[in-house]
Amino acid sequence: MIRLVYATLTGLVLAGIVHIAAVLAIPRLSETDAVSKARSSENLDHPQAIYTIATGAAPAPPEAWLPIPDPAVAVGVCAYDLSDGPMRVSARTGPLALSLAAHGRQGAFYAVTDQAAVRGALDLVILTRAQYDQALADDDENEPSRDVRIVAPGERGFVVVRVIAGLPSQRPAANEAVRAVSCTTDAPADKS
Amino acid sequence: MTTGNPGFATPSGAEADPPRRRASLRGAGRWVSRVARKSGTPLLALYALVLGAALGLASADWATRGGYPFGGVRIGPWTAWPRAGSNQADPYTRAVNARRGEIPLAVGEGLLLTAAEDDEGRALDATCAYVVAGATPPARAWTLTVAGRGARDPQRPHLREGFTSTEILRQPDGRFAIVLAPDAEAGNWLPTPRADGPMRLALRLYDTPAAAGIGSLDRSVVPTITRRECAS
Repeated sequence: MIRLVYATLTGLVLAGIVHIAAVLAIPRLSETDAVSKARSSENLDHPQAIYTIATGAAPAPPEAWLPIPDPAVAVGVCAYDLSDGPMRVSARTGPLALSLAAHGRQGAFYAVTDQAAVRGALDLVILTRAQYDQALADDDENEPSRDVRIVAPGERGFVVVRVIAGLPSQRPAANEAVRAVSCTTDAPADKS
Repeated sequence: MTTGNPGFATPSGAEADPPRRRASLRGAGRWVSRVARKSGTPLLALYALVLGAALGLASADWATRGGYPFGGVRIGPWTAWPRAGSNQADPYTRAVNARRGEIPLAVGEGLLLTAAEDDEGRALDATCAYVVAGATPPARAWTLTVAGRGARDPQRPHLREGFTSTEILRQPDGRFAIVLAPDAEAGNWLPTPRADGPMRLALRLYDTPAAAGIGSLDRSVVPTITRRECAS
């Protein structure tokens, strides 16, 4: 009997270890998380629309994979893989509120809204620590770069573009504004 | 494996009357000790391993299914999730996000508040009418949406799921009142998403200073949720 109690206690301790290990491993192993799902947009120059607001009679298309999307916000994602070079996200501000958020495997590490735009343009460059040092070294002293440079915690992740349509009449424009953002990989070779 | 069964059976046997329970308990105990003595260490080790794996995986699955288990800040009837999208989120929140494919709002982007109960702590029910009134914390834009559990009923006309701060009708003092009811009403009417069952409200504040200092929010700056009447 004592041995059985002992075995049960061992089992419970094991259960605790398995529980903690499983919870920590889920984000790493998951194939349904946002980073894995966004990967198909890696080769696009523009965000992949993951939530298009319903306009008129057209309902929101089934490409949406957000569990509870905001029906007034158009969402697009650009996946990045920094081993190909830094990623540049360029947005032009318009009449609608726009925000960019950079997510890694651990969650969002940076977010900026169009109120931070300089002369109507928002340029976000996501890079690794090494690429950041390189970009600093390459900077022209007389012509400082206006890019917002963000060091990513990992090589893979995605940038989310959100555009808010305050009125139903602004919905087509919000969907269009997401598509108008450009996400390109800066070729590592273009440094002089 | 077989040794595990009596251990699980005893709690359900607790419903029986005391003498019979004691007898069955003693019987089960005798049986377990006999099996344990006969089978020896390998089977006990296997039992411990299986118990650990099964309980550990089941509890991990249970804790990361559905909503975030913790990290919420209660403000009146609302719960704010300030760290759901940041990289300081707890491992459970991260696991929930990963399983659902959710892209939470980042701290600089906005703040999500959810409510599943009214001001008096009763669960939001789709057969009742509610008034969501008051003001919101400072934000550049906000949206207030309602969702039922599960997929949308295709039979119900898809009229409206929420309001944005731009389109809502306000009182002269800037406050607003949204009527969440099954039947149409004048003013800001939000149809209930389903004929019956639980509902959930989501208030998303975009570009808000409140995300950084959640402690500055109190009951007076979030909308109240008052139940008006219920169709029986």
